[in-house]
Amino acid sequence: MKIISTLPLSVAAALMLTTSALAQTPGKEGVAAARTTNGVANWTTYNADLKGSRYSPLDQINPDNFKDLEIAWRFKTDILGSRPEYKLESTPLAVDGVIYTTGGTRRAVVALNGATGELLWQYAMHEGKRSAESPRALSGRGLSYWTDGTRRRILYVTIGYRLVSLDADTGRPDPDFGTNGVVDLKTDFDQDLGDLDTGEVGVHSAPAVSGNTIIIGAAFREGFTPKTHNNTKGYVRAFDVRTGKRMWTFHTVPKKGEFGYETWLNNSADVNGNTGVWTQVSVDEDLGLAYLAVESPTSDFFGGKRPGPNLFGNSLVAVDLKTGERRWHFQLIHHEIWDLDNSSAPLLMDVTVDGKPRKVVGLPSKQGFFYVFDRATGVPVWPIKETKVAKGNVPGEWYSPTQPIPSKPPVYARNGVEEKDLIDFTPDMKKKALELTSNYVLGPVYTPPIVSTPEKFGVINNWAQGGTNWPGGSFDPETGIAYVYACGACISSTGLLPPPAGLSDIPLVVGVAGQPVVMIKGPGEGAGADSPAPSTPVGASSGPPRLAVDGLPLVKPPYGTISAIDVNNGTIKWQVAHGETPDFVRNHPVIKAMGGIPRTGQSTYQIGTLVTKGLVIAGENQFTRTEDRPRGAMLRAYDKQSGKEVGAVFMPSTQSGSPMTYMVNGKQYIIVPTSGGNASGEFLAYALPSKR
Amino acid sequence: MKIALPLLIAFGLAGAAVAQDAGKSVWQGIYTSEQADRGAGVYAQRCGACHGAALNGTGEAPPLIGGEFVSHWDTMTVGDLYDRVRTTMPQNDPMSMTREEYADVLAFLLKNNGFPAGSQPMDKRSEVLATIGITAEKPASSGG
Repeated sequence: MKIISTLPLSVAAALMLTTSALAQTPGKEGVAAARTTNGVANWTTYNADLKGSRYSPLDQINPDNFKDLEIAWRFKTDILGSRPEYKLESTPLAVDGVIYTTGGTRRAVVALNGATGELLWQYAMHEGKRSAESPRALSGRGLSYWTDGTRRRILYVTIGYRLVSLDADTGRPDPDFGTNGVVDLKTDFDQDLGDLDTGEVGVHSAPAVSGNTIIIGAAFREGFTPKTHNNTKGYVRAFDVRTGKRMWTFHTVPKKGEFGYETWLNNSADVNGNTGVWTQVSVDEDLGLAYLAVESPTSDFFGGKRPGPNLFGNSLVAVDLKTGERRWHFQLIHHEIWDLDNSSAPLLMDVTVDGKPRKVVGLPSKQGFFYVFDRATGVPVWPIKETKVAKGNVPGEWYSPTQPIPSKPPVYARNGVEEKDLIDFTPDMKKKALELTSNYVLGPVYTPPIVSTPEKFGVINNWAQGGTNWPGGSFDPETGIAYVYACGACISSTGLLPPPAGLSDIPLVVGVAGQPVVMIKGPGEGAGADSPAPSTPVGASSGPPRLAVDGLPLVKPPYGTISAIDVNNGTIKWQVAHGETPDFVRNHPVIKAMGGIPRTGQSTYQIGTLVTKGLVIAGENQFTRTEDRPRGAMLRAYDKQSGKEVGAVFMPSTQSGSPMTYMVNGKQYIIVPTSGGNASGEFLAYALPSKR
Repeated sequence: MKIALPLLIAFGLAGAAVAQDAGKSVWQGIYTSEQADRGAGVYAQRCGACHGAALNGTGEAPPLIGGEFVSHWDTMTVGDLYDRVRTTMPQNDPMSMTREEYADVLAFLLKNNGFPAGSQPMDKRSEVLATIGITAEKPASSGG
C-alpha cells in the first residue's frame, strides 16, 4: 500500500470514501444497458487513433446536411468538482455506444449514454493539497481506453499526477493495477521530487496506450517566471497496462554518459528541468515507435543557466515502444528561448512524395512551420536548412548561431511581427501602429528576447500562444492532407527583468521595465477543485501597454486560420480565416466606413479540428452577435477539397476543446467541448434531426 | 481615463444599436465614480496580480479591457458578469470578498471600459443587476 503510506491520513481516508461511494453509482447495469454494437462507430483514443489524425470515415453528417444539425443532448460538468470549470478541454471517447470523458475542476471521469447523455457512472479522486498544488489543474484533455477483448479499462492521470486504471463497465479502480488501481507518477521517476504534495509535475494530456504499453508525459508551471532553473525534469515513462509496472524511462534531459549530455555545456543538464512532453504522444504500432514532441527546458525566455543546444529540448524524438530507446531525433529549435515549445501531437501520415509511397511524421508548431520527416529514419522529407539567425544581447544568454528552417511546406502562420504585419486599414492607423511599436522590437521568426527597458519594453511576437498550440492538427489518411488551425494574432510583448528576491533563482524572467516583476500563472493553476492553494502575496504589474490601435488588433488579419497542407507535395492547398469577425472589429466605425472587411477569423489558441469523410469541422472560441443570430458561437464545416464553408450551426457557448464524432444505433453524433465567458463547461452533442 | 479612450472612439460613434427592450442599460450610469475608485484599490490587491494593473491580462488570465472583453459580455447582464466574478474570482479564493467589494470591482471594470458613471451606486444584489443589460455598442438614445 505504497500510495496510502505516502499520503496524509486524511487523503487516504478521502480515497477510501471515494471508493466506497462508488458502490452507490449506477455502475455495471448502466453501462451494460447503454452498450451496443448496433450501428456503432467508435472513437477510442484522444486523437481518434494513435497516429493523431482526428479523422473518422463517417459520412452521415456531410456537406449537404451539416447545416441541419441540432443539439441532441448536453452534459454540464459543473457538478464534477467543488466549483464550475470555465476551461473544458477534454475530447471524449466513444466505445460501443458509451461516452467516456474527464470533466470538471475535479477532473472526474464519467461514463455517459452516447445516445442520450445520461450519466452511467462517475469516478473522482480527492487528492487534497496535492491537487491544490498541481501545476496542471482542471479537467485535462481526456483519457484512454484499453481492452484485451475481455478486460476493458479507462486510464487517466489525476490532477495530482496519479495514473488510474478503471473498469470501463463499473468505474471502479482495477485492483490488479498498481496499488488498488493507482500508480503514483511522482515516484519511481529517476529523480527525487521531495515532498510528493508539492513536487512540481502534472499533465493535461491523455495517456497513449498501445498494446501493453501506456506512455505518460509530464508538464509543469508555465515557464515565464519559474521558481528555479533546476525544476523537475520531464522524463517520459511507459507502464504495463495490466499491472502498472514501469517498463521504461526516457530521459528527455540526458544523464551523464547518455547521448546528448554534452549538448548542455558546463554539465548544465544536471541543474535544469522541464523538457517534458505535455502534448499527446503518437505511436506507429507497425514500426514499434512512439513519437515524443518534447518541450523547452527551463525557462521559456532565458537559457543562460543552460548553455548549449540542450537536447532533447524542442526535439521530435522517436523511441522504441517496447524499450524506450531512442531510434532517432531531430531538434527543431536549438537552445529554445521563445516559448515556441513543441505543442502538437505528431501526425503519422502515409503519403506519396515524388511518386514514392512514404511513411512520414508531420509536426505543426507554434512558429508556423510544418516539419515533415521520414518516420522510420528521421530524415527530413524536404530539406530543413540550418539558417543563420540574429544573436541577442541579453547578459548571460547563450545563442545558437543557426536554426533549422523547413524549405517545404511554406510557413502556414504568422511567425514574426514586422512592419508589414501591422494594421493598415487606414494610413492613420498604420501611423499609430508605428508609433506604438517604436517602444518595442519587431522582427522575423527567432528574433531573440531582450532585457526590458523604458525605451524598448520587449519584443512583439506571436510566440507563447501563437500558431498551433495544444489542440494540434488533424489529417485525412486517405489523401495525405493535414488540416491545421493556427492563431495569427495571439501576440504579446516579451521582455526580461531580474526577479525580486525570493521569486526565482534565474537571473532574468519575464517583466516590463518600470513595473514590479510578478509570478505569472499557467493554465488552470490555482483553479482546480481543491484550490485555494496557499497564496503568495504579490504586487501587480501592469504588463506592457495594450497592443491595439483605436481598439483594433495591432496586427493585420487573418487573426486565425485553418490551413490544408498537402503533405504529398509540401504545398498549402487552401487556407481560410476561421471564425466570425469579432464584434468589436466588425462594428468598428472605421471598418463600417470601409464597407466591411472579409472575415478575419479569431485570435485564440483553443481550436482543434475534426476531419470526416467529406468535412473539416471546427467551432469558434469567441462569442459574437450578428444581424441574424443572437450572441453565441458557430460550429463550422468546410469542404475538405476546397476549404469552402458548407454549413455552420449555432452553439450557445464557445468551443474550448477539440470535437470528435461517433455513431450509435446508426446515428452519427458530433460532440463539442464548450466553455468560456459566463458559460461553464458543457459537452454539446449534435446530430441530424430524426424527422425532416 | 486615458485607457478607455480607444473604446469610446470605437463604440461611441457606432450609431444605432440594439438596446435592451426593458430594464436598464450599462450605458445609463449604474455606478458612481467613488465606487469605481474604491474598486481600483480592491482590484489592485486582489485581481491585478493575474489580470495586470492596467487590466491587460497576464499569462492565462485574460484582459479585462478592450473590445474583445466587452464583446464577450455583449447582451448579457451586469448580474451575469457580477456572479461570474463573485463565484469564481479571485481564482484561488472565490467568494472571499464582500458583495460590496465585488460591486466596487465591477464598477472599476465598467469605468475602464468606457461605460459612464452615474449618481447611484451599483446595487449589490445579483437579481437586480440581472435587470441591467450590457451592450457593447452605445445606444443612440442613451445620454451617457
